[in-house]
Amino acid sequence: MKQQPGKLGIREFVAIAVLMVGAKATEDTPAILFSKVQNAAWMIPILSAVFFFIPLYLLIKTMSLYQGKDLFSVIKKLLGKYIGFIVCLVIFVISSFAVSFDTRTYTNIIRAFYFTTTPNLIIYTMLMLTCAYGAKKGLQHVGSVSYLIVFYSLVSLYIALGISTQKSNIHAMFPLWGPGYAELIKHSSMKLTIFAEFFILTMLIPYVKSNKVFRKGTWIAYVYICIQISAATLLFICMFDESLGGIAYPFHIAIRFISLGEYIPNVEIIFFIIWIITAFIRFSAFLYINALMFGRLFKIKDFEYLIPSLTTIYLMIGIIPESPMDVTLMLKPLIQNMAGPLFAFISIILWLVALVKGEFKHAKNKNSM
Amino acid sequence: MPKTKTVCRIVLFFVVVMFLTGCWDRGELEDKSYVIGLGLDLSKQEGKIKVTMLLANPEVGSLQGGGGSTEKAREIISFDANDFIAAKATANSVISRSISYELLRIFVVSEEFARDPNFTTTFFEVLKDKEIRLNSYLAISKEKAAEYFLKNKPRMETRPHKYFQFMVDHGIENGLIPDSTLFRYFQSAERETDLFLAMYTTAKRLDNPRIQREDEYMAGELNATGELDDTQFIGSAVFKKGIMISKLTGQETRTVNILDDTTNIKDILVNLPDPFADDDKKQIAARIMKTKGNKIKMKLKGVRPQIYITIPLQLEIMSNPSKANYALEKNRQKLRKHIADHIEKMNEDLLKKSQTKLKGVPYPLPLYAKKYFSTIQEYKKFNWAKSYLRADIHVKAEIEIVDYGKETNRPIKVGH
Repeated sequence: MKQQPGKLGIREFVAIAVLMVGAKATEDTPAILFSKVQNAAWMIPILSAVFFFIPLYLLIKTMSLYQGKDLFSVIKKLLGKYIGFIVCLVIFVISSFAVSFDTRTYTNIIRAFYFTTTPNLIIYTMLMLTCAYGAKKGLQHVGSVSYLIVFYSLVSLYIALGISTQKSNIHAMFPLWGPGYAELIKHSSMKLTIFAEFFILTMLIPYVKSNKVFRKGTWIAYVYICIQISAATLLFICMFDESLGGIAYPFHIAIRFISLGEYIPNVEIIFFIIWIITAFIRFSAFLYINALMFGRLFKIKDFEYLIPSLTTIYLMIGIIPESPMDVTLMLKPLIQNMAGPLFAFISIILWLVALVKGEFKHAKNKNSM
Repeated sequence: MPKTKTVCRIVLFFVVVMFLTGCWDRGELEDKSYVIGLGLDLSKQEGKIKVTMLLANPEVGSLQGGGGSTEKAREIISFDANDFIAAKATANSVISRSISYELLRIFVVSEEFARDPNFTTTFFEVLKDKEIRLNSYLAISKEKAAEYFLKNKPRMETRPHKYFQFMVDHGIENGLIPDSTLFRYFQSAERETDLFLAMYTTAKRLDNPRIQREDEYMAGELNATGELDDTQFIGSAVFKKGIMISKLTGQETRTVNILDDTTNIKDILVNLPDPFADDDKKQIAARIMKTKGNKIKMKLKGVRPQIYITIPLQLEIMSNPSKANYALEKNRQKLRKHIADHIEKMNEDLLKKSQTKLKGVPYPLPLYAKKYFSTIQEYKKFNWAKSYLRADIHVKAEIEIVDYGKETNRPIKVGH
């Protein structure tokens, strides 16, 4: 009864990408964007997407030279054994901290809104246990579950946002350019991290059916997520106006505020359940990719056995910050301001090296032969 | 073997279910006492506040068709505290059940406290509390909030949460009280450019109230007699930067609600002066419906900013005291013109009052000004709060009369 390790089709891949990146609209990202550029925050995801498009395009182009190879093998091949190792290690460390602080953010949200007296550590452990279990099941399972729930996740998000529009005023999005063009450009180049997951997702290439599927899936997810995060941010701006500055997790305040008519006033729990399932899948995929990176880095073949121990380490890193404020205001911005530009830089370097080495010509010759 | 495995799994499943209750956040209905209304007053001791809790018993009224428990539906306690969050624990020395703000529907703040400069520091604690929802309402009571809850004894709705929900919802639909959720309060306090209106209420009737037109009252002024409850919700309290500065009557509140597109007024029954009457006394009853949003245009560049507001309204005429013949187009036009003039005057009077007396606009009008600026800096430089005071506001009412009442078949000639 042993199943053949299947590969991810375009549906599953897009579902994973949408859940992993799209979930950013429901945590503290809109509030962070608002604190930087006020009512023009909704433009940042679009501008960042435009900026990040170039490195991502170059990266995918470079990757397509090596059919079925993942990011780390390509880096090692292009940059050599030693430099390649260091670059890969840096990527792994950044992505590890990102997972730690992201999971901590989710724990903070759960504790702040839903389980107010349960200790942080317990919630955190439960969250990580579930995600580790999901990741241990393997990528195929994560992929099919993502495909199963992506529909519910998006529908519930749309319903929540749709009901919120009743209480919002479109005029809050003006003055159109917020703090001015210069600020907008500056902050959107710093917020490239919104799409940094796409860089990490290239680790999954060997598990995707074909390179074409990967390319197509990435672009579909990319465009969709850019619209989703931007639309959600715009809606929160229209709903909360200037009070969004004082709100850490607008999605959760919004679902606590809305009601389905007079007789079902408090509906947040419906949205919460779907949201938490989305979170499980999101971090399962994250943990899996990180374990994969670790495995590739140190040449460990059965990397799936690493997942529990890696999870424990992430849990221990994530629990270090004393208060939610430290995470949102200090540590996350640190990682976020670094990860996006760095990943973009690595992508461009990879492409340049490939160009200089003449890999593109080789490939062309091979094709024409 | 597979059978044992399945059984084991099912058993495991049931065991897991037992963990669902958790250890920390389990709650039992029997053990909870939900605060429905929270009253805030100034305490006699400086720096403290007086907290009044209106607690509902979740067991009452939850059973269908009698057979319910004989426990009381509500409990009220008042005591002095530093803030209303830690007060939950203090209250437990009196109340047997654990106290929760989860279902808090209404904050009642006494006028005295709302006018106090320290009110915002106390009240902004709401944002810190994890249980309070921003869709609860803020109401200002004429008397002390502690007295208000004691005197408020609804006869028909014994369950307090339903009473406040219905009272507030219908008040808002009629436009006599503003839609004053905490959400709007914080929005307006954060913006600092516009004023916020909170509903005004009292449980004390004035001894000899004057009889006025049907919507010109304040809370407590309506002379209703009979077997009823003394509580009245009508009119509004005006807040500037989170602190109460003034009051508006029911009619003024209604005007603001018609101007404000962000509230949900349904349809309003009003009296309008009858254009066909010989004297000024006669009034026609009409139903005003607002189906479309206002059109707002601004010219903000000059020394005196110009603001043009067009209010589209649908009207249903419901009485005809002077027996005018509405079959004639001339009469209809006269009526339409007359009503439009009346509504425009009402709105302009109110906006004039807001410029001179209140020194700010009592609804989120500045939002509509934002689109005339391209950056925040420009908008800040324009300084709405100051510029509004010298703005010229032009109100135009677009009246569409959809119905002239039932009695068109036997018109009696108007006596002139």
